[in-house]
Amino acid sequence: MENKVLRGKAWVFGDDIDTDLIYHNKYLAETDPRKMPQYSFEYLPGKENFAKEVKEGDFVVAGTNFGCGSSREHAVYCLKYAGVPVILAESFSRIYYRNAINNGYPVLFVKGLSQAIKDGKIKDGDDLEVDLEKGEIRDLTNGNSFHGDAVADLEMDIMKAGGLIEYLKEKAASK
Amino acid sequence: MGKTMIEKIIRRAAGKEVKVGERVWCNIDLSTARDFGGANCVLQFEEVTDKKGKVWDPDKVAFTFDLQAPSHSEKVSTNQKIIREFAKKQGIKKVFDVDWGIGQHVLLENGLVKPGDVILGTDSHMNLLGAVGAFATGVGNTDIVASWFEGTNWFRVPETMKITVNGKFAKGVCMRDLLTHIVGTLGADGMFFLSTEFYGDTIERSSLSDRITLCSMVTEMSGKIGLIMPNGKVLDWLVERAGKEVVDRVKSLSADPDAVYCQELEFNVDNLEPMTSCPDAPDNVKKVREVAGEHVDQVHIGSCSNGRFEDISAAFEVLKASKSKVAPGMRAIITPATREVMLQCAEAGYIQKFLEAGVIFTNPTCALCTAEHYGALPSGDVGMSTTNRNFIGKVGKGSHTYLASPMTAMATAIRGKITDPRDILG
Amino acid sequence: MGKTFAEKVLGKAAGESVSAGQVVIVEPHFCMSHDNAAPIWGTFKKIGVDKVWKPDHLVFILDHAIPAPTDKHAENHKQIREVVKEQGIRYFYDVTSKGGVCHQIMCEEGFALPGLVMVGSDSHTCTYGAFGAFSTGIGRSEMAATWATGQIWFRVPESMKITVKGKFNKGVSAKDLILKIAGDIKADGADYMSIEFHGPAIEEMSLAERMTLCNMGIEIGAKNAVCPPDQKVLDFIKPIAKTDEWEAMWADEDAVYAQELNYDLGDIEPCVAKPHTVDNYAPIGEVKGTPVHQAFLGSCTNARIEDLRLAADILKDKEVAVRTIVIPASWSVFRQAMKEGLIDVFLDAGCVITNPGCGPCMGNHEGILAPGETCISTANRNFKGRMGNKESNIYLASPMTVAASALKGEISDPREVL
Repeated sequence: MENKVLRGKAWVFGDDIDTDLIYHNKYLAETDPRKMPQYSFEYLPGKENFAKEVKEGDFVVAGTNFGCGSSREHAVYCLKYAGVPVILAESFSRIYYRNAINNGYPVLFVKGLSQAIKDGKIKDGDDLEVDLEKGEIRDLTNGNSFHGDAVADLEMDIMKAGGLIEYLKEKAASK
Repeated sequence: MGKTMIEKIIRRAAGKEVKVGERVWCNIDLSTARDFGGANCVLQFEEVTDKKGKVWDPDKVAFTFDLQAPSHSEKVSTNQKIIREFAKKQGIKKVFDVDWGIGQHVLLENGLVKPGDVILGTDSHMNLLGAVGAFATGVGNTDIVASWFEGTNWFRVPETMKITVNGKFAKGVCMRDLLTHIVGTLGADGMFFLSTEFYGDTIERSSLSDRITLCSMVTEMSGKIGLIMPNGKVLDWLVERAGKEVVDRVKSLSADPDAVYCQELEFNVDNLEPMTSCPDAPDNVKKVREVAGEHVDQVHIGSCSNGRFEDISAAFEVLKASKSKVAPGMRAIITPATREVMLQCAEAGYIQKFLEAGVIFTNPTCALCTAEHYGALPSGDVGMSTTNRNFIGKVGKGSHTYLASPMTAMATAIRGKITDPRDILG
Repeated sequence: MGKTFAEKVLGKAAGESVSAGQVVIVEPHFCMSHDNAAPIWGTFKKIGVDKVWKPDHLVFILDHAIPAPTDKHAENHKQIREVVKEQGIRYFYDVTSKGGVCHQIMCEEGFALPGLVMVGSDSHTCTYGAFGAFSTGIGRSEMAATWATGQIWFRVPESMKITVKGKFNKGVSAKDLILKIAGDIKADGADYMSIEFHGPAIEEMSLAERMTLCNMGIEIGAKNAVCPPDQKVLDFIKPIAKTDEWEAMWADEDAVYAQELNYDLGDIEPCVAKPHTVDNYAPIGEVKGTPVHQAFLGSCTNARIEDLRLAADILKDKEVAVRTIVIPASWSVFRQAMKEGLIDVFLDAGCVITNPGCGPCMGNHEGILAPGETCISTANRNFKGRMGNKESNIYLASPMTVAASALKGEISDPREVL
């Protein structure tokens, strides 16, 4: 994980965005993670254009319980390999959270984000600046700022290793 | 200070004392994957081990095929083949191919699940195995692959919620309705990361099938696991399948009387009514009579939540009481959870009667939970099903689904519009 | 000079005496379409006609992918339901327990009747010849035109007379006979012709066996295939006939045939059609031991109660070694199989029994093959990639051979397990 300040556009989502909306069950048979981004958010009304229009460096910003539903890791790969550097959400569903950590894919828990989205304090297309290390998020379009909590120690170790597999390999090698 | 079930289960699996909130490494009793996610696991394992890896214990790895069984796409066929070949190469005997049915149910019926077992699977409803006190959890392929190295994985010891349910269901009302009511009350994140223990006389009397329904829907409230320690007939059933060790496990893993809970809730079902999750979210809950009369195009009974013999029997009682058939123009589909369930239905004579009434039976599989299997809906169609999710477009773009009990589903199939089963059962 | 069956039936429909080679325009009776009624409707609308010529002559039967295995199929079905409503189509078999494989439904519901000219937008429409109908498959555009005009042209075909005598040996059935014929005369051996099955052995055959023979007429290039409408047929159809416009008709003794073949059932042995053509005949001994990954007992060719009985006899109290998919031809076949305890036999043996429909036959669902996989199947086609991946193989065989092979996981001679 690199400690740098990231900049990109926001794609804003509500609460309880489930895995079928992120990556629909129609495409579960896919086994190549790099082919998964083309299906991102295809079934989410209003966000059908995400897969085509998302640019490397854009952020996914969501309310509570992001990624609820299925255990499919596809729903993490489809954003990771689309070039979304980090997902900002008030909270993540537990399987989704594990799947992100296990792939060394950063997520930030951002308090008050759900309400801020509802209040229009952070909108689709806003320019964001995110300091991953400090957890600072600034909406450059309107000047609002938010704070995100990094993950707990073990998860941080796994993330820093680049994912669970790499973490276990390091652990085995140091034995 | 007393311990909750999950604290005891994780203590057993970690081989040390544990505290709530702590991250601990646990020994895995069974690491499973389906034809969904399974090929991803195999390919990832082969890649990271340079095709030289051996799973830590072939007896503790299982594969179940239920996403598309039998397959209807070359991709899934190929994925299934990848799994079969890997299992052969690794000496994994527990491969439940397309003839078996829904994974968790098959594992349970085959005696592979005991209270306290830590079980992983590529299925977010793995946790329905909490119905027999196992800690089973849905994970992605990386977690499965990681567990294949040394048979371990990490967990955060969760806080526990205690739900006590008392009272007797009125005619036409069942565990599914209670569950729908709880989802409506607590919301989609009402059990966020929690373990939930279920108690009360309603639970103590309940069948395994009802317990499965209850525990399967914990996922829909973002819970980690719902736990019920087997008692009575459920205990007898499990001992018969999984052996005598079950009894010791129940004794050693039941919660202490002074265990600490983060939240305690009580429900009484005496006055509960048939409930339904309206489109397009499981927590969009209403009483069935509030939406009675709404048009429905297709009714589907089955899934890991409500596809057992008892569920199909409950639907049958409604059919029998109606002295009627499926409404004209209605498609009514039953998908039994497993081959064993299908055989039970055949022996009870239900299949013939359902067929005479216009209902069709499919082979046991997950089916109705995806837009890529039996019963997918076209845009604009409204379905009612006994599955556990009704997110928008889940079983077909532009379609909508009501979730309800097998009784409500059957009553709706008979009348062709949403119907309170009490209108038929009297 | 005597007339063939085709000359008689088409002559009656055309209202004049006709001979092979002549072109006639006739009004067909029942016009069957399955899930492809939706694209046909699309073509129909382009013609500029609002109403189909006779809504009671159209029969729609969903079978190719039921219940809808994808939302795309679901959309297709929905469109058909809308057409049914809009046009007042009387005979519609939706995804309910009245349905099944279209050709089976056409026969068991009393649409397939002696002397009728029938068309279907499916190549295996020739199956109804088992009941003495002149029935043939047509393309989608032609079906759309037929809906609009009620007329279709045919070149009166030359006829091939296949005379069959003798009795099947144990382990041999009608499927083996038709695969042998395909092997002998090849896939184009009866191109454009009307095949007439004659002889004492045909009279002895059940209607199910005759359906198997006629069903595969298309696989040797025939326009239609037909068996005599004897008492067995009349007894079957009288109580269920959907119209009284039928008439039992048969070729004259002195009819003129383009070709005549003779078979003795006693000479037929269990056999297969090897990949990737139906005429790639091999006696069972030649392919015995070939490993298979899947066995399929189903399709419009061989999934009737008689077929299921033959397979169940072999599978009873045993377990299959490979995944075995059993798909009864219709829900009434399924129900009969339940009554006879056959469903239990299959489930106990480890087979998957799916709801009636076409299943994996043309690669839609319920058992698609992965690369490198081999399937032994009771269906009618083994073209490259038909059941899934291009790199998969299909062997066609009888229900008994498929059952025997399922037990061993390799192509097996049913005579050895009977």
